[in-house]
Amino acid sequence: MTWEPSDDAAWTYVSRTLIPARLITLWIWVAVPAIIVSVVGSLTSRWVFAGLIALAVIGLWGTWLVFRQVTAHAWIEREDDLIIKRGRMWRTVTVVPYGRMQYVEVESGPIDRAFGIAKVQLHTASPGSDAQIAGVPTAEAERLRDRLASRGEAQLAGL
Amino acid sequence: MTAPQVPAVYRAPREWTRLHPVSPLLGGWAVFGVIGSIALYNYAPQWTGVDPELQASAHWLMGSLGWVVAAVALIVGASIGLGFLQWRVNQYRLSDEAIEQRKGMVFKQHKQARLDRVQAVDVVQPLLARIFGFAALKIEVAGGENSGVSLEFVRLGDAEALRNELLALAAGVKRAKAEGREATVDAIVEEASTAQGADAGAGHVADGSLRDLISQPAGYSETAAAPEQEIYRVPLNRLLMSIVLSWPFLWILAIPVLAGVAVFALNLDVGRILSAAGASLFTVVPAAFALFGFFWNELSRGFGFIAALSEDGIRLRHGMLETRRQTVPPGRVQAVQLRQSLLWRKHDWWRVSINVAGYQDDQEAVSTLLPVGSRQEALTALWLVLPDLGDPDPAGTVSRALSGTGADGGFTPATTRARLFDPWQWRHRGVRATDRALLIRRGWLVRDVFVVPHERTQSLAMTQGPLQRVRGVADVTVHSTNGPVKPVARHLDRADAEALLASQAQRAAEGRKRQTPEQWMTAVGLREATHE
Repeated sequence: MTWEPSDDAAWTYVSRTLIPARLITLWIWVAVPAIIVSVVGSLTSRWVFAGLIALAVIGLWGTWLVFRQVTAHAWIEREDDLIIKRGRMWRTVTVVPYGRMQYVEVESGPIDRAFGIAKVQLHTASPGSDAQIAGVPTAEAERLRDRLASRGEAQLAGL
Repeated sequence: MTAPQVPAVYRAPREWTRLHPVSPLLGGWAVFGVIGSIALYNYAPQWTGVDPELQASAHWLMGSLGWVVAAVALIVGASIGLGFLQWRVNQYRLSDEAIEQRKGMVFKQHKQARLDRVQAVDVVQPLLARIFGFAALKIEVAGGENSGVSLEFVRLGDAEALRNELLALAAGVKRAKAEGREATVDAIVEEASTAQGADAGAGHVADGSLRDLISQPAGYSETAAAPEQEIYRVPLNRLLMSIVLSWPFLWILAIPVLAGVAVFALNLDVGRILSAAGASLFTVVPAAFALFGFFWNELSRGFGFIAALSEDGIRLRHGMLETRRQTVPPGRVQAVQLRQSLLWRKHDWWRVSINVAGYQDDQEAVSTLLPVGSRQEALTALWLVLPDLGDPDPAGTVSRALSGTGADGGFTPATTRARLFDPWQWRHRGVRATDRALLIRRGWLVRDVFVVPHERTQSLAMTQGPLQRVRGVADVTVHSTNGPVKPVARHLDRADAEALLASQAQRAAEGRKRQTPEQWMTAVGLREATHE
């Protein structure tokens, strides 16, 4: 249960299609200010176009970050609990016992749907447990939700 | 073994019932508004008519006063009228598995507090309600924002009887579920009345069908509260002293001294300072109010604080103008925090806070188990929550947690490599698991000890930031329910953190499998250890 590549636990990594899905969102956020900068630049000074370079740098850095983050995002279903790891710079391993799950939520926005992936979010009675798996193929997400729900039902412990 | 104490006559209505009709008046300060406007109306002409020289202006004033009174009366009347309409639709009942409430005229709400999910039942008396002998009953349940049921207001006796019934029923539901019997209110009442019918002492309540029993007029029988045993109380002088020894109070004392020093030692222009202070009156006044609010909160929270033990759970009583009687059933406390600020160290005083699922608003006021107490009392408070720490020497272990450093008392300390980014606290950080709970220690000037029972752990996380990664350090967080206690063991050696995460997940899983309320009762001495 660690972040290191040497870890021999049977991690299931999230779908790589999460990378294009996130990149589209990222580049939309880069493109909108880029258009604004271009318009302002063409009306005023050419120096404003320097902003485009800054935006491009941010976009490229973000792209690299998305690659790194998605390839670090994985989960394991164990006997009693689900383990999720994510992040590269700030890394987290979260252990959520099935008996503590209040409900499971499957969510997918328009871009996620276009790529056939979904986000599975687990809720416990604690506001602190931030347990979500992004980029799970839709069929797998449904299966995961049902399995988590049935395991949660079987092991549900009172607060 | 004595039969579990379940009342046989229930005052909790099974049909939709309204709250007490005076509720809209108790809700706010409407009553004072009414009294005030009546007084104003009656006496105003006399006040203004005293001096004949002022007749002319008095005449004008009377005219305008009449308008003011009319406006006040209109506002007060409208708010009471609105309150009354709301009261009409605000109803509650006891259904088969839950206490239900429906209210709201425009936005209708229907809330259900399931008996098996009851986390705490509080009898709250705001000042006005207290004067007239009424109380609000607040039933907190696990799950979701705003999911609790709040009955405002009923007579104090009714509120207490309802509380006792709900707690007894909730315990009955849990027991029935554990034993695989039918866990509805009817089944439990039936069982209780037959059990009491077999008892010769139960007398008049035992005969007659359940429906007859329920349709008895309110006030027919009191459901006795489970007998309680006082554990500790907080004397007023200690509470006052603890407030004096708090940082905000010292700041207040320090400000005039600092100002004096500034004026005389630095030879500053007093006039200029005063004009500057005058100019910033608008900032000084709210600050003063905030400080006053702090003291007021501290005082009223700890005023007359009494903790007691009963079969229903832990009972806490406190409050000055608004009093609150909390009952937290066995095993409902999710996490405990013992805290000592620097100024309390000389007296070895501690504050004990708890997380109870379901409490949403006013977290601090409802989450205090001991506002200020000696080490011995703090240990007793912890014992109330966690009678069996799973350690051969619980007092010694907790004491070493309270005032130890490094590896004292079998703690796994923070790693030396954390010194770089945590120069002061790293020496005091440590974590240790007993058979039943996880103990986390931290703090240099302000000492904190967290205690989380394994079976109450919600989820766990191990985190590591970039700087920690370079130094091979990681944090382990234990997620508890919403509340002031947020346990985290920071800056552990990475290998230690990984081991803790793995073993803690294991211990939590084992803890969940064995936890029952009966264990708590046996451990605190309310039940015979031979029970089943």
